[in-house]
Amino acid sequence: MADDLLKEVTDFFKDGEKDKKIEKSFANVNKASTLIAARDFHDSIKVKEDPSNCRRTLTQLLHLQQNAVEKLNHIEATEVFFGVTKLFFCKDSSLRRMVYVALKELYKLCDPSDVIIVTSCLTKDMTCNIDIYRANALRVLVRIIDSSMLSALERYVKQAIMHKSPLVASSALVSSLQLYQKSTENASIVKRWIGEVNEAMKSNDAMVQFHATELFYQIKENDRLAISKFVQKHSGVITNGSSSASRIKDRVRSPLAIICLIRYTSKLMHEEVMEGRVASDASIMNATEICAVGYRYFESCLRHEVDIVAFEAAKAICTLPTTSPEVVLPALSVLQLSLSSTKPASRLATVKLLCGLASLHPRLVSRFNEGLEALIGDPNRLIGTLSMMTLLKTGTENSLDRLLKSISNFLYQIAEEYKVMVVHSLERVCLTYPTKSRIVIGFLSKFLRDEGGFLFKKTIVKSIVSLIQKIPEDDVRDIALLYLCEFIEDCEFVNLSTEIIHLIGQYGPQASSPARYVRFVYNRCILEKSVIRASAISALTTFAIECPDLRHSILPLLKSCLTDEDDETRDRVVLALNLIGEDSTETNTDEKDYDAHDKQSEETSIVHVLTSKLPMSFDNLALSLKAYQKIPGAMEAIEPLSFDNLPIVEGPDEIESKGSGILEESPSNLLEDDNIKKLDPAAAVYAIPELASFGRVFKSCNPIPVTEAESEYVVTYIKHILDNFIILQFMVQNTIEDQRLENVSVALQTDSAAYEVVGEIEAKTISYGHSENCYTVLERNLQEPFEPFALAAELKFTVIQVDPETGEGEGDQDLLEEEYPLEDLEIFNSDFVAKTTVVDFRKAWESIGNTNEILQKFGLGDKTIQSATIAVVDCLGMQTCDGTGQIKPGSKQHMLHLSGTYLGGVKVLARCQIAGSKDVGTILKIAIRSESKEVSKQILESL
Amino acid sequence: MAFTSVIPPLLPKVDAILVLDGEGNRLAGKYYGDFLTSTTSSSSRAAMSTGDDSKPASANVTVEDLRASFERQLQAKIQGIAARSDAAEVVTVMGKTAVFCGGMAMGASPSGVGGDVRVVHVGPNTESELLLAYLCEGMYDALSNLMGGQTDRNMVLDNLELVFLLIDEHCDGGVILEVDGAKLSSSVLLRDDEDMVADAGAGESAPQGAAPSTTGMRGMGNGFGMQGGDISIAQAFRQAKQQLIAGLQADGM
Repeated sequence: MADDLLKEVTDFFKDGEKDKKIEKSFANVNKASTLIAARDFHDSIKVKEDPSNCRRTLTQLLHLQQNAVEKLNHIEATEVFFGVTKLFFCKDSSLRRMVYVALKELYKLCDPSDVIIVTSCLTKDMTCNIDIYRANALRVLVRIIDSSMLSALERYVKQAIMHKSPLVASSALVSSLQLYQKSTENASIVKRWIGEVNEAMKSNDAMVQFHATELFYQIKENDRLAISKFVQKHSGVITNGSSSASRIKDRVRSPLAIICLIRYTSKLMHEEVMEGRVASDASIMNATEICAVGYRYFESCLRHEVDIVAFEAAKAICTLPTTSPEVVLPALSVLQLSLSSTKPASRLATVKLLCGLASLHPRLVSRFNEGLEALIGDPNRLIGTLSMMTLLKTGTENSLDRLLKSISNFLYQIAEEYKVMVVHSLERVCLTYPTKSRIVIGFLSKFLRDEGGFLFKKTIVKSIVSLIQKIPEDDVRDIALLYLCEFIEDCEFVNLSTEIIHLIGQYGPQASSPARYVRFVYNRCILEKSVIRASAISALTTFAIECPDLRHSILPLLKSCLTDEDDETRDRVVLALNLIGEDSTETNTDEKDYDAHDKQSEETSIVHVLTSKLPMSFDNLALSLKAYQKIPGAMEAIEPLSFDNLPIVEGPDEIESKGSGILEESPSNLLEDDNIKKLDPAAAVYAIPELASFGRVFKSCNPIPVTEAESEYVVTYIKHILDNFIILQFMVQNTIEDQRLENVSVALQTDSAAYEVVGEIEAKTISYGHSENCYTVLERNLQEPFEPFALAAELKFTVIQVDPETGEGEGDQDLLEEEYPLEDLEIFNSDFVAKTTVVDFRKAWESIGNTNEILQKFGLGDKTIQSATIAVVDCLGMQTCDGTGQIKPGSKQHMLHLSGTYLGGVKVLARCQIAGSKDVGTILKIAIRSESKEVSKQILESL
Repeated sequence: MAFTSVIPPLLPKVDAILVLDGEGNRLAGKYYGDFLTSTTSSSSRAAMSTGDDSKPASANVTVEDLRASFERQLQAKIQGIAARSDAAEVVTVMGKTAVFCGGMAMGASPSGVGGDVRVVHVGPNTESELLLAYLCEGMYDALSNLMGGQTDRNMVLDNLELVFLLIDEHCDGGVILEVDGAKLSSSVLLRDDEDMVADAGAGESAPQGAAPSTTGMRGMGNGFGMQGGDISIAQAFRQAKQQLIAGLQADGM
């Protein structure tokens, strides 16, 4: 009997398998058959009889849309869309759910005008009494409607926000959030619901509270006061103003909402510090009301039973902008706990936080060392890597040797990208303990010789090179170069080999015994591929030029390469021999003195061109040349192109190297985008013939707003600085729906004698939602000395009332001349300084000489070195060099290197020393050198 | 300037939710916001440059290519790692934090508990890993609930409808709607109590209330994924199987 049953069961399962086969057809559904199946949507009887079939078709559609190569096109999507709208007639609730989901996918592919037809169905669902319909219909609806329809539906959304069902309320709040972000018109409507949102905060449901918190923040984002009140009200921290009864009532319970509140508080506290309301010597725990309440809130959250909340609070405390260790102390016990958590996410988050914290407080973090060492073997390699990095930061000079041992085992186990991270932190360790750099460089070079990917080896090479640059000790350089030489003996990456050979050519001649390296380089000439041979020849040439003693021994080496089979290599040899041959007659001149070279014969100036560095980086040169091409008439000009008459391009801001330096996107991509945009402003000026005749734009400043971001007419302006003119470009945006602006201009008034308004170009018309430019030109009066000045500005325009629907004027009407006051415009000294990078600041500083040097000492009002540095950089408008824009947290003084170019192409360099002192704030000692005394003075005055 | 790098997003959002099978094929998934939507954004370029060198990173790269490339990189990092449903694992891919639950450990027998399907939440790298893990665990919980504990590729494909609904209930345009696994799975199965009452009420008042096929809930028995809005066919099979085995064992004794 049992056998029979068993057979029956197996048969039964076989049938089941068969069913599955059909269902598995998802793996190969095709578009055509699905589209045919979708035609059934129009057949109301079929739909009624078999709603599950429709659901299946919809699921297939969604699946196709996600996975298939051939997606629905516009026409197909529209057809399906209309079919789907028919399904509203079926009352099957699970079909309806799929309809909602499908609509959310389909509406994007159809014309908005077609999509509108479902609005009535959705509105009906939204107002019916089935919660699940209400919630879902609303979520679809907000994606479809525009602001005019929204105002008609406003009442329903408001009701939904306060609905007793958490599902409906949450959906309404989230939908409002989406609406707010969709367009500014919608945002202005959503703003009116703040009362309802506050009401929703009282909900008992955790998710509703969370969504209400988010929406509140979104609406009040720019209103500091409202946010801080909101946070205080719902955080439940006792303040002077609140009674304990309301405290308990208003406290949010949702963990997610609390996390949001913690983040808002954290932002508020950061702003307190950024905006200088916290004295440098005061502890952030009680510096201001906001800080005190915020800190107490964090502390109370540390004891929250949900681990995410406790961790979030700990994180907020650890990332506070302060350097005093006692602030961080309370958070450590939470971190201790989460470091040994069973959850990988928790361990990772903790290690990541500790890694950042270790740059500030290595002492504090060192108490975690035991736990961190245990984590090195964590199955999640990222955790292991971060632990290692943290240990490197907290380690002392003595413990480094032991660490290196465990790193060498560890490095073999982890993926390449993690290896890269470890190498970077090793590099940082060297900078902290320069005495250890010989050991570390030796350690790194061991990995160069072992197996490894290109990226890893490249990182090691880069690290070694940057150590050579940053640790100016001869023996470090010599050793590092030797290691690199050994590496190229058997390096499988051609790119890396050529790069290293070039580097040896660059640094080798300055080493204590350059002769050592010549052999390594020459070996490459014999043994390697043509590319490497060619670069080795170039390197040998530099050796020969820069080390006259070696010249006689290098010459035969080069000559032996004259028979090389590769053209490029041979060419280089010939060139090199010619250069050196001519030069060898005067072996005793100091070859490094380039200035002397210039005065000598033409051949030596070729040597100079071939061996000295470019005055700017390749990237800047490329940008600069592109900008040059845009200048009208520049390409036809008779004068030859030289570095001096290239337009000045502001170098990209130095890449901020974050303390932790991990998990960042590669910044090069981001920079590219920025640079492209940076070129644009001047191009706008060149495009207008009247303005183009004024000449070349020296510098375009960043746009500055002169109205509130939410006012009726939003105006920002860009200062284009020319030799004798300033062109002010105003970008005016019209945000009033029923108005069109005509003949828009900006009237300026100033009492400065140095500049006067000489002309303007109006913007002809600005219709609703559009942004147009108008220009005003100021001319420099050379007789008057320049001083920073302000300009009172007023927007002038004619208003034409229009019908918002058509955008056409409404019949005959009086033209209204209107004026709209703007904030004052200001012209600073720093506007005339372009940020330019110098390749080697020290060299530039010395070569510019101290003839036009000005030294000065200032007491600054700023409380912290951090804010003082930012202020100085802002004031001078110059580029920070050598990474000195980044301040070591907690340091008592800071050295700032700045470079720039003043109007007319005058190079300016500045060295500033900023020191903090408790009594008077900060002290700035500044030395400015430039090619003209006048300019140095001018720069100094900007402070 | 400084705090943007320190403070996590003020409006927590996820960039993508993916349901991947053991080989990293996307069974279902959704990308939110502008993550990997424009082929010119820097994140996309990173995807193309590091992802697939054979393809030229030119203008004809589609959004789908970017996503495929992202998922390939993701899969390369997560394959062979199994994450328990209450302890999501974390990796970083292209500067994004990706948190996942589920999956099969390398060498584990495929008949083990759970299945090879992974639920992945992708968020910005400033977002708290713990928070993302919390979201991911919630959704995975709901998914294994819906799949009757058997989160393998076939089971998920068979019940794709439920998965779509689950993602929709879990997240709306990147904003998290609901995290609790039990609540999620019951709302996917339309087991909202009030809704049942309302629906039943509507059914009674309707003229053909007696005909079961017209009143939502009861109409779902015929075939596709669920029975009576409660359990899927596979679940029913398993229950039947267990009962039978129990019966057989009793018989044998």
